[in-house]
Amino acid sequence: MLSYSKDQRKFVLLMLLPAFGMTAAFFLWPTIYNIKNSFTDLSLLGLREGGKWVGLDNYIALFNDSDFKKVVFNTLFWLTFVSVSIRLVLGFAIALFIESQLVRRLRLTVPLRMAALLPWATPDIVAVTVWKQIFDGRTGVINNKLLEWGFIDQPIVFLGDPSYVWPAVITIIVWNGLPIIVLTMAAALQTVPRDLYEAADIDGAKSWTKFWHVTFPHALPALAVLGLLTTIWTFNNFIYVWMSTSAGPGTFSNVLATEVYLQAFVNFKLGLSSAIGTFMAALAMVFGVIYFRYVVTKRFGGLM
Amino acid sequence: MTDIAMNPPAVKRRKRGLTRKHSPVKTTAAIVLSVLLIFFFASPVVWIYWASFKPSASLIGSGTQDLVFTFENYKNVWKNDFGRFMFNSLFICGISVIISTSVAVCASYVLSRYRFAHKKWLFGFLVLTQIFPWIVMMTPLFIMFAKFDLINNHFALMFCYVTITLPFSIYLMVGYLEALPIDLDEAALMDGCSRFQTMRHIILPLLAPGIVATATYSFLLMWTEFLLAIALLTKTSLKTLPLGLALFFGEETVDWGAVMAASALTTLPALLLFLPVQSRLIAGLSAGSVKG
Repeated sequence: MLSYSKDQRKFVLLMLLPAFGMTAAFFLWPTIYNIKNSFTDLSLLGLREGGKWVGLDNYIALFNDSDFKKVVFNTLFWLTFVSVSIRLVLGFAIALFIESQLVRRLRLTVPLRMAALLPWATPDIVAVTVWKQIFDGRTGVINNKLLEWGFIDQPIVFLGDPSYVWPAVITIIVWNGLPIIVLTMAAALQTVPRDLYEAADIDGAKSWTKFWHVTFPHALPALAVLGLLTTIWTFNNFIYVWMSTSAGPGTFSNVLATEVYLQAFVNFKLGLSSAIGTFMAALAMVFGVIYFRYVVTKRFGGLM
Repeated sequence: MTDIAMNPPAVKRRKRGLTRKHSPVKTTAAIVLSVLLIFFFASPVVWIYWASFKPSASLIGSGTQDLVFTFENYKNVWKNDFGRFMFNSLFICGISVIISTSVAVCASYVLSRYRFAHKKWLFGFLVLTQIFPWIVMMTPLFIMFAKFDLINNHFALMFCYVTITLPFSIYLMVGYLEALPIDLDEAALMDGCSRFQTMRHIILPLLAPGIVATATYSFLLMWTEFLLAIALLTKTSLKTLPLGLALFFGEETVDWGAVMAASALTTLPALLLFLPVQSRLIAGLSAGSVKG
């Protein structure tokens, strides 16, 4: 740390002010406004009149609503838990495969990494667009092939059929989000000290033992950070569900992010939408606290 | 000395490892798995570019095998204002990136070099803004900007883009700054550089690779941002690329050829910018600092 005298404090302040002033203006005011609205019955059509104070009514309505419970379940289970678990497990497995002796010897490591970069560089909105075409009920590649090969007689509307919609949405998310795990874990695997493997070889360790006692402990911190970040991003994501299914069929694949939007801009119930938003932000905050305690403090603890 | 003494056996061992015979079954399985993985990752992207050159009609039904190529789709999206959207995106993202990165450099320099009270709270605040669901901001921002008559104003969107990219830019940059020894700053200050000169002339040139990576990532985030843009821009001529892409989905029919050409045009700059900085981003990512 550099030392500085009292009158030089203004340098420090001056450097910090633009960044923190702007972020505070951008985040604090809307957050407070949002919380305030969540206690009113404000409507999008009655913005000028403003809303009437209704106390906790919006929140009580939410917690008594079984549809809302389903929305929370969809968000936490399907959108977040399932898609994140699949990405972490598959991503780590693929990273191990890419970095394995055999794949190296076959010189397939670089082509595999290059291929994995493509989905990562694809914007989420484009990812949904192209997969929508692949899954399309009338013109999609998958349906055409399945019909051609005689597996099905009727095309399947993947993104419009309750029994297929979540697997289809999760496929899109996994395609777009798997590479970041694969490539980061592959990089993490390269940092495992070689001599540990050599020592294990001398001790006559089996490959499973080597994985469990050398590779896994070394990869775990990176995997944990990635798991946490992926969870937060996916929980917050609006694009995947909205662009692929518009929360449908009906409201079958509705999640918190799309519910905030639907209540505000389709049902015009800004008060209720704000309550949902506040609830969603509070849930995200739980992840935020974990992230701060276990990732940020660990990494930048020396600076604080 | 120890290095020289240690190396030969290590090299020998590695060599033996490399020439070790893997069973043909395992080798075949690895090749098949690799091909499947490459197919899974690459085919949708290849499909975007392939389909963007196919006549729209041939994308419907199973007529995609015939080798007819056309620029029709690109002409089509161009006629529908796509050039305009691209210009808007370049203008908004370009200016926002410059502001965001400069502001982030200042803040992260001070955060990494100076001790002051409540720094922990500043880091905490950065984390908070990083994990905050943007969808929740949409309504309040819309109302706020409407009050000041800033809907359909590119500068309002730039303000948003600067602030949403600031937290992780600072975070990423603090990480890169940590790799530069503080002795450099101390020596410069000792030699009579002012505090600002030290940052500008000593640290900034050394930080350049980190700045490039951070700026690129911010740019990509803004380039593909959809939510804030759709809330704040309602006039077609002011829209950005992602909104333009969404415009090609009609209510009933979708012109897939045009959609694919629009997707191709949206993805290309992202691909070109992303590939050179990806290894640097991976390094920053395992430190937990990138927004996806």
